[in-house]
Amino acid sequence: MKSTQYTEKTLDHFRNPRNVGTLEGPNVAVGRVGNPVCGDMMDIYIRVTDEDRIEDIKFQTFGCGSAVATSSMITELVKGMTLDEALHVTRADVADALEGLPPIKMHCSNLAADALHEAVKNWREHVSPEDASKKRVDKSCHARPAAVVEVEISNLDEYKGKGVYTRLDDLSEVADQRVVVLDTGDRSAQLAIDLTEHTGRVVLMTTSKEPSVSSAVRSALRLSDVKLLSEAQPLELEGEGELERIRVHDLNEDEDYELTADALVVLEDES
Amino acid sequence: MPSHISTTDVVYADYQASKPVDARVVEAMLPYFTRIYGNAASLHALGDEATAALESARLRIAAAFGAQPSEIIFTSGATEANNLGIIGYMQRNRRKGNHVVITEAEHISILNIAKYLEKNGFRVTRCPIDLYGRVSPKKLRARITDDTILVSVGWASSEIGTIQPVQEIAEMLTGTGIALHTDAVAAEGLVPIDMSTTPVSLMSLSSNDIYGPRGLGALYVRKGTQIAPVLMGGGQEHGLRSGTEDVAAIAGMAAAADIMTAEMSAETTRIRAIRDRLVERVLAEIPDVHLNGAPATEPGRRLPNNAHFRFAGVEGEAMVLSLRDKGVAAATGSACSSKTLEPSHTLISCGLLHEEAHGSLEFTFGRFSKSEEVDRIMAVLPGVIARLRALSPLYEAAAPA
Repeated sequence: MKSTQYTEKTLDHFRNPRNVGTLEGPNVAVGRVGNPVCGDMMDIYIRVTDEDRIEDIKFQTFGCGSAVATSSMITELVKGMTLDEALHVTRADVADALEGLPPIKMHCSNLAADALHEAVKNWREHVSPEDASKKRVDKSCHARPAAVVEVEISNLDEYKGKGVYTRLDDLSEVADQRVVVLDTGDRSAQLAIDLTEHTGRVVLMTTSKEPSVSSAVRSALRLSDVKLLSEAQPLELEGEGELERIRVHDLNEDEDYELTADALVVLEDES
Repeated sequence: MPSHISTTDVVYADYQASKPVDARVVEAMLPYFTRIYGNAASLHALGDEATAALESARLRIAAAFGAQPSEIIFTSGATEANNLGIIGYMQRNRRKGNHVVITEAEHISILNIAKYLEKNGFRVTRCPIDLYGRVSPKKLRARITDDTILVSVGWASSEIGTIQPVQEIAEMLTGTGIALHTDAVAAEGLVPIDMSTTPVSLMSLSSNDIYGPRGLGALYVRKGTQIAPVLMGGGQEHGLRSGTEDVAAIAGMAAAADIMTAEMSAETTRIRAIRDRLVERVLAEIPDVHLNGAPATEPGRRLPNNAHFRFAGVEGEAMVLSLRDKGVAAATGSACSSKTLEPSHTLISCGLLHEEAHGSLEFTFGRFSKSEEVDRIMAVLPGVIARLRALSPLYEAAAPA
């Protein structure tokens, strides 16, 4: 069955999703699940009354047709329920309400139920939306606290002069290359911004959720073409005689993957 | 799809996936269904008629690509040609070595053929590509060993349209005894392909990609290159591809090849202008969008029909579904839409992060595309993107200055 063989009900919720948006103010909690690596991310906001009833509910979703439809449907199902009633809504309930989902898309309905459960959990643990934004829960693992992670690339020296730079005086040297700059503070972030003049692909890699930069540099970063890769710990370099890939540990997913890169800049002496 | 949109009203921008068969090709095929229906192997008059048609078609298709007729083997499509060319070559020449080098920009059929080879005692190396999707001859050469007997590099990427340096690679391999195979499906009919000037050993071609009938392709096998068959049977096509030849389809492919030879130059100019207009408008009118692959402004680097974008904060399948509702047919390389939930390997190999690869949208134009279709696309695309961005937790419109 094609991945998009959706029922009319599913298509309706995709075309006309209910309860889209965010919630602010008192008595609000949010549940955030998913990960851009697997392609789906859902945020569900709930406003809860004194009697533990879900008075209002909103969602935002990055994902395919069924991701949007399942998050829309679950908000429709639980609006007005008590928290305990809401926790009993399963992914099968969501899929049934949509009159079926293609088998390969069932995981989307699971994610919607997880987002709701996460919102309820955050409510009960008095986690405010601001604090919740600092931890995104992924289905497949438990989120690790973003402690200070030491960066130790096992074979960094092997690639010095072959794609690894500890200083970069002539930025045109990496023209048209995929450059990864390791976050070592303001100087590295500023270099990343400057590099966007010479290449269309600059990634600033940091092990934390945010790069360790001043607020002025943070604003400049946001406006630039620098791609931020957070919660990423570089482990090892790979390549045939020159740097071609970086083996990266995703601290959020607790998984390793390979990032294609032609140059890695690890500045020394960040003052 | 809403019932008021019939498929004849749809703006079709997915030529890369399938092309309509040219009406002139259909015309050329008709006699072979009910009138000239003999088996080319038969010894009677109808058999001779079929043989004459088959060999005339072979001659014309060969000529269209600078080849000799005896160098054209008909198959059921380019996928089969890839199997015959790569597995057939490796098995036939196994005594000389067991290593093949491919690129990370290859079509999925080649990647899966490579996996099959690895499971059957052969070694495969995958050469990386640059941020535009191009493979460097230097990096390829670095991966060649004493055991290497074959290199496979697609003429161009069907996904992001990057044209590979096939001429340079072919010349680099000349005299090494290493054969070069190329999957030319994405490039045929869009760039000149001439076997008399480009020393390629094996080439896969598809009939539908030059507006011929589906279910037919060809493998070009340079004289002197030895392959083993992968399909056993009655020994047709010099024993290399058994099965009674589909003369109707082959006659169709020959008509398509004749049209290609006559019209390619003017056609690609026209298609390029349509593609360039879409790229210009999308980049100008929609924020936070990038073109994947080589710049459209450099004709030698990118196919003229291909516009492959990534939009920040939105997912590919959602874009394609929304466009479908608005009467536009496009494609995506997003994970959610694939059979395996994995994003396009070509985009990841270009260096994109997963979330960027998920936001991809591909428009490919062709012979029957019209300039006003760009306007029809742009009448709906900004709204589609805006709606999905409003739904998305990943997208925040830049604050006004």
